[in-house]
Amino acid sequence: MNSNATSAALEVRGLTMTYGAGAGAVRALTDVDLAFARGSFTAVMGPSGSGKSTFLNCVAGLDRPTSGRVLVDGRDVTDLGEDDRTRLRRERIGFVFQGFHLLPYLTAEQNVGLPLRLAGRRQDRARIRDLLARVGLGERARHLPGALSGGQQQRVAIARALVTEPAVVLADEPTGALDSTTAHDVLALVRDSVDTLGQTVVMVTHDPVAASYADTVVFLVDGRVAGRMDRPTADAVAGQLAHLDELVGAAS
Amino acid sequence: MSMLALASLRHRRTAFTATFLSALLGAALIGAFATLAQTATGAGVSDADAETLTIMGIVVGGWGSLIVLFSVASTLGITVRQRAEEIGLLRVVGATPRQAGRLVLAEASVVTVVAAVLGAALAWPAGFALLALLRNGGMVGDDVAYGGGVAALGSAALLVVLTSLVAAAVTARRTTNGPATLAIADARAGGSGRMPWWRTAIGLVLVAYGLGMAVVTITVTADQDDPYAAMSTSGSSSILVGVGLAVLSPVLLRWLARLCAPAVGRAGVVGWLAAYNTSRRSQLLGNVLAPVIVLTSAAVGVLMLVGIDHRTIGAQATDEGDTINLLNNVVTGMIALFAAVMVVNAFAAVVAGRRQELRRLRLLGATTTQVERSVLAEAGIVAGIGVLLGLVASLATVVPFAVARDEGVVPDGQLWLPPLLVAATVALTLLAARSAVHRLGPLTGAAR
Repeated sequence: MNSNATSAALEVRGLTMTYGAGAGAVRALTDVDLAFARGSFTAVMGPSGSGKSTFLNCVAGLDRPTSGRVLVDGRDVTDLGEDDRTRLRRERIGFVFQGFHLLPYLTAEQNVGLPLRLAGRRQDRARIRDLLARVGLGERARHLPGALSGGQQQRVAIARALVTEPAVVLADEPTGALDSTTAHDVLALVRDSVDTLGQTVVMVTHDPVAASYADTVVFLVDGRVAGRMDRPTADAVAGQLAHLDELVGAAS
Repeated sequence: MSMLALASLRHRRTAFTATFLSALLGAALIGAFATLAQTATGAGVSDADAETLTIMGIVVGGWGSLIVLFSVASTLGITVRQRAEEIGLLRVVGATPRQAGRLVLAEASVVTVVAAVLGAALAWPAGFALLALLRNGGMVGDDVAYGGGVAALGSAALLVVLTSLVAAAVTARRTTNGPATLAIADARAGGSGRMPWWRTAIGLVLVAYGLGMAVVTITVTADQDDPYAAMSTSGSSSILVGVGLAVLSPVLLRWLARLCAPAVGRAGVVGWLAAYNTSRRSQLLGNVLAPVIVLTSAAVGVLMLVGIDHRTIGAQATDEGDTINLLNNVVTGMIALFAAVMVVNAFAAVVAGRRQELRRLRLLGATTTQVERSVLAEAGIVAGIGVLLGLVASLATVVPFAVARDEGVVPDGQLWLPPLLVAATVALTLLAARSAVHRLGPLTGAAR
């Protein structure tokens, strides 16, 4: 168990989340055990209401789980206070959102450097330039988000997520707002950060094509882990999604 | 559409409270002076009294109106512009630009009609008090009976409602004319500070007019026999230049914030964020800058003017001089009060519309303190630039009048006044920002 805790970049044990109380209580997550190895790329999939977003929020320290533990880099972060969670988010976790979430009044370069500034760390200009070049936007470092396309904005967001060398990058439907060609470019970038930088990535999605870029797919159904698939293909994932009810039957 | 409009009003209470308050105060202020003009038309009012009342009502009331209408328009502008995304959504689900525009207009009319009617009701006793002030000062005869009524109050309310609707229509057209899309670029919601040509023109004309009056004061009216001739030409210069600069505020803010960015940026991430937000979204924060400029220029200009007058001919005080100065103080007090409310209002509306963006900062790892301080730093930049421009505008009254009364370019006394007013204005701006941030409540919670 302990060796497990130190080898995984992110681990949850018995993660349970209940919203509300009494008869109206909703169980969003039930006893979820998952470990994400360093340098792995995992897609978390499931239909709407399966608990994907709740899972991300708990892991990111935005929501406090009802019970269970969250370990980042082997460190238990479940009971941290608000300030420590904030520090955890900006130093150990990178975010990529469906809606890009760039600050509209900062240039691409400034957006990428923002987590470093917030943490009071030195602006490593060379590193920021390097990351922007890596995502193919070396020429656009001084553009404001309003002057960039959706795909370009998302690539800036990826560079921003990588800038602090976080333990894990959490991506929430990163291609949900993009067309398929642009989505392919963005996913290839994420894949590349795993392969060449050894970054750990956990991506929530319901797109089988997006999931096929991952090493492993974890299926969530009704707040429980219903199955896994290694080396997924888009077809296999789509097939599995069409028969999730069988997974549930097998799991219970 | 009206059902949708009412639902939307309930949804964004803070922003509409700001519009409501400025329309309410505006109608009260304009209405109070309008009752004086109506009183002048009453039977048994002597010609001299009628002239005094009419001048007071139309001229002084007119100045107030200019400021009021500008404020109402800018507050309404903030609330409409911040809804670009929502209007985009309406367009996507099938609303035509015309329908979306009508929604905006319907909301604006509900809010401003209610506010203007209540404001007009407040104007009735306020006008009564104003007249009592004039009678006590001996400026009009004791026999003048208060004649404020439906005509004065109604036209004041109508003026406020109409201006608000024009302001709403202009802003709505700019917001609704774009393509129907959900992916509204964030930059649009902030605006880059580029202004339509007519706005630049209005601002420049006001500044030029104010400066022209200042020049006339030094070259012509200073040498006339009537000591109050110089006051009548220079008295309103500071307000004119102040309002002119306020009209130009988005552009001025963009330039000046960029100038002070390197210095502020050295104050850590908080100042750095604030400097970029103020210069790159000057359209939005220009709405806060505008009342700060007007507040400073009107208060410093007119109070210094009264001070100079008191020193130079106060010894041989006339009834006329006393009432003119009393009136100067009353008007300045009203304008200052109004501008102060506008500062608070505009900050509340601007910050309320930035909730999502401030939450984004929290998600990326900014602490609550960092978010709050960066908004405060923005307020600091806006306040600093605002009082600076306001002081420059006040010179348009102070210098010519001091020259006209032979005190020279620098007045002989009251030099403690500007720093005091500046400190008060800066404090007010910072407090307004602080309360606006606190009203947002916690910025954490589930990510979307």
